[in-house]
Amino acid sequence: MVAVISLVLWAGWHNLRARRLALQKEQEEHVLLLPDVPQKPGDEAVDTKTDSPSPLLHKPAPQFTLSTLDGKEVSLSDFKGRPVVVNFWATWCAPCKVEMPWFEEFSKKYAADGFAVLGLADDADAGKDAIAKSAGKLGVTYPILLTDGNVQKAYGTDEAGYLPMSFYVDKTGKIVEVTAGLGPKDELEAKVKETIAGAK
Amino acid sequence: MDAPAKAKSYVAYAAEAQTVAAGKSTVLELRFRVIEGYHVNSHTPKQDFLIPTTLKLDAADGVKAGPLEYPAGKMYSFSFDPTEKLDVYAGDFTVKLPVVAAAGEHTVSGVLRYQACDNAACYPPKTLPVQVLFTAK
Repeated sequence: MVAVISLVLWAGWHNLRARRLALQKEQEEHVLLLPDVPQKPGDEAVDTKTDSPSPLLHKPAPQFTLSTLDGKEVSLSDFKGRPVVVNFWATWCAPCKVEMPWFEEFSKKYAADGFAVLGLADDADAGKDAIAKSAGKLGVTYPILLTDGNVQKAYGTDEAGYLPMSFYVDKTGKIVEVTAGLGPKDELEAKVKETIAGAK
Repeated sequence: MDAPAKAKSYVAYAAEAQTVAAGKSTVLELRFRVIEGYHVNSHTPKQDFLIPTTLKLDAADGVKAGPLEYPAGKMYSFSFDPTEKLDVYAGDFTVKLPVVAAAGEHTVSGVLRYQACDNAACYPPKTLPVQVLFTAK
């Protein structure tokens, strides 16, 4: 009797191990055979003009009020009448760190046109110190704002699930360009100029 | 542009039943594969704040595990800024787990934490549950 029970238990255990192994293999195949692999946001970011990158394109930019790293509140409405880039980034996002110094450069170069950049840190849970240090190392002096979860929903960045994403808001408060992923610097600058020029 | 479909995982674990000599120091090879078109930071990224690929394993009865050995990464740059050098895993990579195990069947459970990017964008950090199944004889 004991031997039979032991055998049954052993068989069950053995099957469990076999199932675990099979399950992991199945998961591996599922991951490797995902059909969405060829889709890369960066490829699409190169040419956002002919396609519709975001349902927000040509619509009024969603309003927000967020805290800066030093606890001040900044609203998008504070920049009413000015061209603004709303740039979502994170401390862990390497391509974000490539384009942020470019945005810093553009914010200075086009300051006379009223152009401003707002950097929205998507990983507020990283902590203010890490965010400040990360932005500081990049030489960023434009406002860095801490996201609250709602702003990601409003702009659809949580749904997209990747960074960087930038929304170009013209003087009338309308989103005239959206970039998803890192693009060439000259293309970003062209979008900044178009945003300054205003609605087409 | 259609919103890019979100891959649920960017790294897969190639589970395989392994057999080792009981009571002897052995190195188990844990094979992972980053799906095509993506890369993850290596265990030792060159930049601050980038999230390293890290495997955390739970203690298992009858298994004395040594420190994990991670492979060296490969250099990677985004085409729009070739000066920025990243240290990444792409394609297959193997983490080595030194063990001394008592005779019997063993399962070492753990979690691989990684953060994936493609050629232009990055995806939030993710975790992959791992179960290392092996038999010591």
